[in-house]
Amino acid sequence: MKGENVSDNGNNNGSTPTILLVDDEEMVLNSIKSFFAIESNYRLEAYTSPIKALEDIVGRLMHFDLVISDYLMPEMDGITFLAKVKEKRPLVPRILLTGYADKENAIKAINNVGLYQYIEKPWDNEDLRLVIRNGLEKTVLLKQLEEKIREVERAQHDLSEVQKDILRVFA
Amino acid sequence: MSDRTREKELTGQLIQAEKMAVLGLLVAGVAHEINTPMGAIHSNNDIMSRAVKKIEKAVGPGADPEVARLLGIMKEVCRNNEIATERIMHIVRSLKNFARLDEAERKYADIHEGIESTLMLLQYQLKMRIGIEKDFGDLPMIECHPNQLNQVFMNILVNSTQAIPHRGTIRIRTWKENEVVKIAISDTGVGIPQEHLSKVFDPGFTTKGAGAGTGLGLSICYRIVRDHGGTIAVESSMTGTTFTITLPVKGR
Repeated sequence: MKGENVSDNGNNNGSTPTILLVDDEEMVLNSIKSFFAIESNYRLEAYTSPIKALEDIVGRLMHFDLVISDYLMPEMDGITFLAKVKEKRPLVPRILLTGYADKENAIKAINNVGLYQYIEKPWDNEDLRLVIRNGLEKTVLLKQLEEKIREVERAQHDLSEVQKDILRVFA
Repeated sequence: MSDRTREKELTGQLIQAEKMAVLGLLVAGVAHEINTPMGAIHSNNDIMSRAVKKIEKAVGPGADPEVARLLGIMKEVCRNNEIATERIMHIVRSLKNFARLDEAERKYADIHEGIESTLMLLQYQLKMRIGIEKDFGDLPMIECHPNQLNQVFMNILVNSTQAIPHRGTIRIRTWKENEVVKIAISDTGVGIPQEHLSKVFDPGFTTKGAGAGTGLGLSICYRIVRDHGGTIAVESSMTGTTFTITLPVKGR
């Protein structure tokens, strides 16, 4: 593994991380888009419709490394949306953006869906950046962990082959 | 008291309670609606000030003086916007705290937080005219319906502001005594005549005339506090009035 940690300017594969963002309010999408444009080089897939986003995840096999969703949306609430995303892409960190009025319900739901984080509106850009960076880092660490587990499994397999050989010799 | 009068009072209380519930919904709705555009403005302003810093860096120290001056103005505007948005966000937080619709009915809550939110919402009534003195003791969280207690604080504080004709002071003192907490709200207003003092918690009793009050505010405070297993008392003289609310730490 060559990756040490993730910066705002790319992950350990050298490629640009893609963030999927869903909020029914255009002004929220635009603001976050501008923030990314000025302080990172994340690629942004922005949707005002969670249903359209799900269609593109399945139909277009849209790639993304992290997903952020608003909670209160007319078509589908953010928890339901993120639960559906989890079915399709279980390893992608899921972040919920919540307003004041739905915080308590959201927190309850967070435990059920297993979210990575939630961010409260009005959000702080610096917090948002940190949460995204840590989320991406988590994905990298998870991948590294999987790789290590596979290595250990391979080593264990090789070892048991050696053990069989030894037993055969002495049998 | 005749059955008729009693019935009239109960209907009145019900209507008033209904009004407060609608007001709570309205307040929470407004807070929520303001929140999203507020979030966008707050974020956009941050982006603007980041952009200005980047431009400054890009043009370097040898920049055209006019460019430098304009960047200086933009920085100042961003700083000013930041202060303004912080203020709005604080108000929205207070609105949300006051209504507390997202919470379970009964819970352990911080009384001081409720008083602060209520004061924030009364800001425009108090401004310049009435000074607030807070003498908050060390209170435990108490088991209560926070939104109902906020209504009590709101009603009493509005009464206090109405009792002060020109300039004056409202003093809010809180302290703990054994297993109860006490909240005393005093004003330097005109006071309540002794003959009226025993009637202020009666439903429909008002001396303010149409427009100023329904005469139900304090009777509802009385009922809410009683339902919390507490008491509410009033003392008054020519130099002011004090309402003292006593609430058990553990609700019943």
